[in-house]
Amino acid sequence: MSFPLEFSDLDLWLAGTAIILFLTSEMLSPLYGRSNIHINNKRLRNAAKAVLILFLASVVIRIISTVIAG
Amino acid sequence: MQLKSNPAKLVPPAILSAGSIALALSINYASSILAFIGLGLVFWGGLLFYIRPERYVKEALLDKMALPPLVSLNEIMTGLGYKSKGIHLPPKYFTNFESAKVYFSAENNAKLPSPEEMQKNENRVFLKNPDGILITSPGFELTELFEKNLGTNLTKVDLQYLEKNMPKLLIDLEIAQKVEMHSTDSRVNVKIEGSITKGICKEIGRLSSICGSLGCPLCSSIALALAKATGKPIIIEKGLASEDGQILEIEYRLLEEPPEKTR
Repeated sequence: MSFPLEFSDLDLWLAGTAIILFLTSEMLSPLYGRSNIHINNKRLRNAAKAVLILFLASVVIRIISTVIAG
Repeated sequence: MQLKSNPAKLVPPAILSAGSIALALSINYASSILAFIGLGLVFWGGLLFYIRPERYVKEALLDKMALPPLVSLNEIMTGLGYKSKGIHLPPKYFTNFESAKVYFSAENNAKLPSPEEMQKNENRVFLKNPDGILITSPGFELTELFEKNLGTNLTKVDLQYLEKNMPKLLIDLEIAQKVEMHSTDSRVNVKIEGSITKGICKEIGRLSSICGSLGCPLCSSIALALAKATGKPIIIEKGLASEDGQILEIEYRLLEEPPEKTR
């Protein structure tokens, strides 16, 4: 019994999630007209940033591992 | 009487539980599809917990709560015969720099006391020689909120900074939908559209000592911010609200101060 996802799968998932979160936070921004969805927009943006950083970190890890292997 | 439970509150734990089960099953059956589903559900369940809305107050309730103190203030000032315009004073007029007060002179066009004279009487409400009253601005707390959100003390910034950042701040705080701010010489014009205080503005238009003098909490908070940034006393020269209260146009005037006493 092991976790069925590999590093590359998680990488792709993080990228997709970061894009969705950024688009959502941008669409709900009060700068584009007041939204009636009452969520904490600042926190949504923070979550998007955190996921993006995780994705970028995974990209860096991948580059380093490729350089070392090459 | 039983309070109704909010079904929206049950969504995040339900998603989180479903995600956890899917993740556990994915490990058991070595299924990557189940793992993706589980990961997504756990993430969004957690995220929904995190981005839960802040508590909102209904606009009608806000109006009903904010209006009575302003009506009382108007009655007191009308009763005392104060008809001059309120002057929002910058911090240098007080020994306590956190003070945010408005000065009303007993006579129209009377000279504003110097900072030194004001500092001697800053804890009093009724002032003598010249006669006047000193009250805390209704926008005092709102100005503190502006400072907290901008992450700076407004005494450390200038008018250009306010012109650039105040409109964005008011929109970010969901106080208004659109804000414009322009300064020319000794005047600053602010146009606010879709403000949350539109109900209050509509009502206090009838209060002679408040509208266009002391201002509603929002107008007064902007006057205080201007006073802090420019270091000059500020008067609300004009305050015009459209019929439905949607558009608010305010003109602020920066006062020239009395010359400092020679020692």
